[in-house]
Amino acid sequence: MLHTENLSKDMGEFVLRNVTLDITHGEYLVIIGPTGAGKTILLETIAGFYPPDSGKIIMDGRDITNIPPKDRNICMVYQDYMLFPHLTVEENIGFGLKSRKKEPEYIRKKTVEMARLLSIDHLLHRKPDTLSGGEQQRAAIARSLVMEPNLLLLDEPLSALDGQTRDKLRAELRRIHDITNVTVVHITHNFEEVFSLADRVAIMNKGEIVQIGDPDEVFRKPESEFIAAFTGMENIFKGRCSHQDGISAIKIDGHIIYSVTCSGEREVYATIRPEDILLSKDPILSSARNSFKGRITDINNNGMVIKVTIDVGIPVVSIMTRRGWDELQMDEREEVYLTFKASAVHVF
Amino acid sequence: MSDIRKSWLRSATIGTSILLTLFIVILLLLIVTKPTPDALYASITSPEIQFAIFMSLGTSIISTILCILIAVPAAYALARYSFFGKGVVNAFLDMPLALPPLVAGLGLLLFFGTTGFGNALADMGLVFVFTPLGIIAAQFFVNFPYMLRIMRSTFESISTRYEFVAKTLGCTDLQAVWRVTLPMAGSGFFAASVITWAKGIGEFGAALLIAGAIQWKTETLPIALFLNMSCGNLNMAISAATILIIICIVSLYIFERYGGASRL
Repeated sequence: MLHTENLSKDMGEFVLRNVTLDITHGEYLVIIGPTGAGKTILLETIAGFYPPDSGKIIMDGRDITNIPPKDRNICMVYQDYMLFPHLTVEENIGFGLKSRKKEPEYIRKKTVEMARLLSIDHLLHRKPDTLSGGEQQRAAIARSLVMEPNLLLLDEPLSALDGQTRDKLRAELRRIHDITNVTVVHITHNFEEVFSLADRVAIMNKGEIVQIGDPDEVFRKPESEFIAAFTGMENIFKGRCSHQDGISAIKIDGHIIYSVTCSGEREVYATIRPEDILLSKDPILSSARNSFKGRITDINNNGMVIKVTIDVGIPVVSIMTRRGWDELQMDEREEVYLTFKASAVHVF
Repeated sequence: MSDIRKSWLRSATIGTSILLTLFIVILLLLIVTKPTPDALYASITSPEIQFAIFMSLGTSIISTILCILIAVPAAYALARYSFFGKGVVNAFLDMPLALPPLVAGLGLLLFFGTTGFGNALADMGLVFVFTPLGIIAAQFFVNFPYMLRIMRSTFESISTRYEFVAKTLGCTDLQAVWRVTLPMAGSGFFAASVITWAKGIGEFGAALLIAGAIQWKTETLPIALFLNMSCGNLNMAISAATILIIICIVSLYIFERYGGASRL
């Protein structure tokens, strides 16, 4: 659907180096990378705000490298909404259709339809600055979607929102993508967004796409040290959530992890922070719901803390202080018990 | 022993600012209370002052419109684009602010009076030397930097991303500016127009050199003040001054009220 070929752009502070990317129809691609990796300039180049120094952008077989943004039908949503402050929400959403010289009645109908889809139809007469962050972002998304874009570019769309609003809107993005099947490129530095939204994830660093693929694959098999360090989330497990004995349980490769946060019967990702996992020589009697027996496969001592990898059927990483490790007196290949609370399991 | 409730620095600096304020108030009051109200009214309604009001309003409105037409696009370019020599252009465009108006007027006089271009304009009927057109030219030259500076900072305060988004929503470059940036620059634009206009009303030095101080011909309010003062018509001079004071207070209020982020 969209193909970029060796796209390069030097803007001084930010650069793009030989970005070759293939996005298929209806795909949800998430691009993740550290600040200054060139993520935004990639989107802005695809949208046509600046000409690339070299390379090509092909959309549906047509070379669009040098055509103006208005003729690309690619829409963009920024982190800070960029709603036009002098227009009402309704005029904002209808802005693009007005550019296309559509009939006022048609614009009105489409605007209301789209506002309804994003649950902001009661705010149409308001000015953007009277809206909450979440509402503003919904309006910005509606303003783009009403154009029925070939490609929707989202530049950290959830980063400016508070936790709860962010979770809600993230679910909304997923729902909207399911309904409209619009092709999306979504930039973020939030890993949860990768796992809950992405069909594929691309990792960007210093202007280059360093790895692209299925999220599971990229996070489990990072192709370089940078990616490993950047994605550096230990203990990510994919499993199925269900209810057992009044508490949520996640089944991962035959193992069961108890959690307090997952709900409903669905595929989820669970993470446990390594420092929340307690190691002991003998089983501990405690209120913690999760207890496993495994074998130490790797010990990594970096001076400050000790990182221990334990195989309990799935690899689990625990981090402990030097002193705690010395008291434990254990070595590689020894058997060990690990314990963590249901509340330490983070599900998304 | 010092007492934190009695800060000398605080008292001294606040005292200075209040003294300055009083000084200004006293000067203004001295001017407007000098003639009797009846005499003031008679002078203000006299044909000569009426002519000066008309001349001042006409020239200042036209010169403000010219400033808008020329300085707004220039301000946009300086805020949005980077180009070779931008620093130099910026510096020179601010120059008329620092240049003594008499010097600016001298330059204008030479430009319109002695060059081929000036003569060509005169042949076409556009005579600037010793005419109201000269006043307009003087006001434009001395005051466009106000328009330029305020609009430049106004445009700079509006993220280019608004225009980016507008372009993805079907706008050409020009439409994006027209439908998004200019409306968003509204209050800065209003403030800039008011201050440019007010400065135009008060323009004296440059206008004096190129347009002369000719009674009933190039007589604006400041020129009327100067001419009447020179020949001892104190009441007439003061009535011109009073009108200028009122315009100054009103425009300053409007500027402070709507100027927003844009400051000189």
